[in-house]
Amino acid sequence: MNLKIIWMDFIYSVKGWYRSRGGMFWSLAFPVILILLFGAIFSGVGNTKYTLYVQDRDQSQWSEGFNATLNATKLFNIVVVKADVNVTQYIKDKNIKDMIVIPEGFGQSILESFANPSVTVNLSFYYDPSDTTTTQVVRSVVTSILQQINSNLSHGRTIIGVTEVKTITENFNFIDFFLPGMIGFTIMQGAIYGSIERNTKYRKDGILRKLLTTPVTRTEWILAKMLFMMFLAGLTTALISIIGIIVFGMTVNITPLVIVIVIATSFLFSGMGMLIGRFVKEEETADTAGGAISFPMMFLAGTFFPLEQMPQFLQVVAHALPLYYVNEGLRNSMIYMNQNDALLNGAVVIVFAAVFFIAGVILTKWKED
Amino acid sequence: MIEQKFKCPNCGEIASFYGNPGEQMLVTCAACHSKGRIVLPLQSHTNNYAIEVSHLKKVYGDLTAVNDISFAVKKGEVFAFLGPNGAGKTTTVEMIESIREPTAGVIKLLGCDIRTDFNGVKEKIGILPQEFHSFERLTVRETLVYFSNLYKKKADVDEIISTLDLDDHKNMLYKNLSGGLKQRVGVAISLVNDPDVIFLDEPTTGLDPKARREVWGVVSGLRKKGKTVFLTTHYMEEAEFLADHIAVIHKGKIIAEGSLEDLIRRYGKTSILHIKKCKGAPDVVKMLNQEGFTDVTSEANGDIAVKIDYKERVLEILSHLRHDCIEYDSIDIRRSNLEEVFLRLTGSKLMEEE
Repeated sequence: MNLKIIWMDFIYSVKGWYRSRGGMFWSLAFPVILILLFGAIFSGVGNTKYTLYVQDRDQSQWSEGFNATLNATKLFNIVVVKADVNVTQYIKDKNIKDMIVIPEGFGQSILESFANPSVTVNLSFYYDPSDTTTTQVVRSVVTSILQQINSNLSHGRTIIGVTEVKTITENFNFIDFFLPGMIGFTIMQGAIYGSIERNTKYRKDGILRKLLTTPVTRTEWILAKMLFMMFLAGLTTALISIIGIIVFGMTVNITPLVIVIVIATSFLFSGMGMLIGRFVKEEETADTAGGAISFPMMFLAGTFFPLEQMPQFLQVVAHALPLYYVNEGLRNSMIYMNQNDALLNGAVVIVFAAVFFIAGVILTKWKED
Repeated sequence: MIEQKFKCPNCGEIASFYGNPGEQMLVTCAACHSKGRIVLPLQSHTNNYAIEVSHLKKVYGDLTAVNDISFAVKKGEVFAFLGPNGAGKTTTVEMIESIREPTAGVIKLLGCDIRTDFNGVKEKIGILPQEFHSFERLTVRETLVYFSNLYKKKADVDEIISTLDLDDHKNMLYKNLSGGLKQRVGVAISLVNDPDVIFLDEPTTGLDPKARREVWGVVSGLRKKGKTVFLTTHYMEEAEFLADHIAVIHKGKIIAEGSLEDLIRRYGKTSILHIKKCKGAPDVVKMLNQEGFTDVTSEANGDIAVKIDYKERVLEILSHLRHDCIEYDSIDIRRSNLEEVFLRLTGSKLMEEE
């Protein structure tokens, strides 16, 4: 292994990239433009349909009736939380904004209230005080429903009330979601198209044939190119993070796990690019094939929008896509500081990277048939 | 792999054959087509050869691209591998360069079998692949330094730049160079390790005549430095101008091989004397026929063409013209060339084959 050759190739790759307006645009300017654009459009804007978590500890006809009334408003995506789950921990882990807990004995209390008017029962409404828009909507809807129920049950007397509990989750908005996705997407694009260029254009131009006849080994050359890809990925991550911090006032944590995921992502999508270049030999066709794979993946893997907003079958598809784990891993580690989930995501990314990169290296040939 | 010249016992034609020491071969004389058996001597002369190719074959499915060819290139000579597009030139040279795997055959570069020891000769060879384009966003000098750094043995990059007359362009990006300059840079890249053997695969294809002449100048310079040059081309004038040794390949087989003089002597046979705008051309034709020139043709404008077998007959014709006071504009003698050799060997013109 000649490290001098690897370093020399890396330096020349940087020079070539620095002089390429297209390369600079797609790897640096484009993600910055997207971040600024999407950030400006979506910052602070919630969903038109609100996600409301409901834990039914009572499991009675009364509690089911209340759930059905909530559903009937069609304003909420109701996510049912199991009755035995610790609410406080659950809210913290999942970064939940709004949750209703129906207490055990909810139905029994209503029945008793008919005989004894002093009996009342309270639902617990957990909310994120920083997310005022959503909370206001949920609060007003829940209050209206309860007024209606109380009116029907006792002609105005309050049987069912609400106890409000402030949650201590951080205030995450769209840009927090979007920034890690943008990093994953940009690294993916750079690695796939960089690999395709090396395996199709360089083949067409005779550069691979030329290299084959020089003392440089394929391993040295690929390592040199990977060094360049990692440099580019690092630069992209740093630039996008700086934009997030300066322009949007985000808190971005560059943890060791983030670095590992960024490196693994470079290997993963370089391997994918090699495979595309191996089987689609014409440069233009390979570019199209690269787009055909990376573009749908970008949308399906939760880069721009949360997976929960997609139909169920697309959510299943997303879990098979490597970019999904890159996005989730970066989000969990950089933004949500949920390192346990990030570790799991990172492990999946590393497995994908190993499979794609090794397959790419093995199947890519410099020799002609 | 050795070369041995044999003289045909039937017609006296001398031809070279290549094979392993002690190998017996059934051969056919290219001139009289008589068949015979030869035995190559046991003593090897390997050291004289930069490239030795023996019974090389490349098959793609039903297509035999290269069909059992053998040849050897001596050290210090410019070897032209001449043939139309699709004849098997690039397939052959890429097998020698270890870019393609041969179906069968043995290739030795500077005495090393490339199947087992290609890495050993990489430092000693320089290659310009067909239709080569280097990194677009590196300057000429950076490109040469890049490739130079891949080798242990390095030539002086600035000297190469001067030799190839690239001084004025050394800081230009490769993508901004003209086609001719790009080819010159390609040749320059093949020299960065001061190689003993240089492979140039169609180095002038697509270039204008001026750029082509520039590349020829570079190749001539390499010959003067004692480098071995393996040149593939489909331009006959290129082979005529540059090569010490020419092999003509057609449909995957080498159909003729030797120096330009050898090939013309063996396959060209004749030269043609042109008498331009001759007065009384029909009478002159009759006169020449009577004097024993059987192949004489004339055109309406008075041009006469006479096929001559040896140069003394030119003086004979001039003497007849002077004696009979025949007036004409000019006289020229056109020697046989490779085009004629190719036509004679294949029945078609080289360019028609493409």
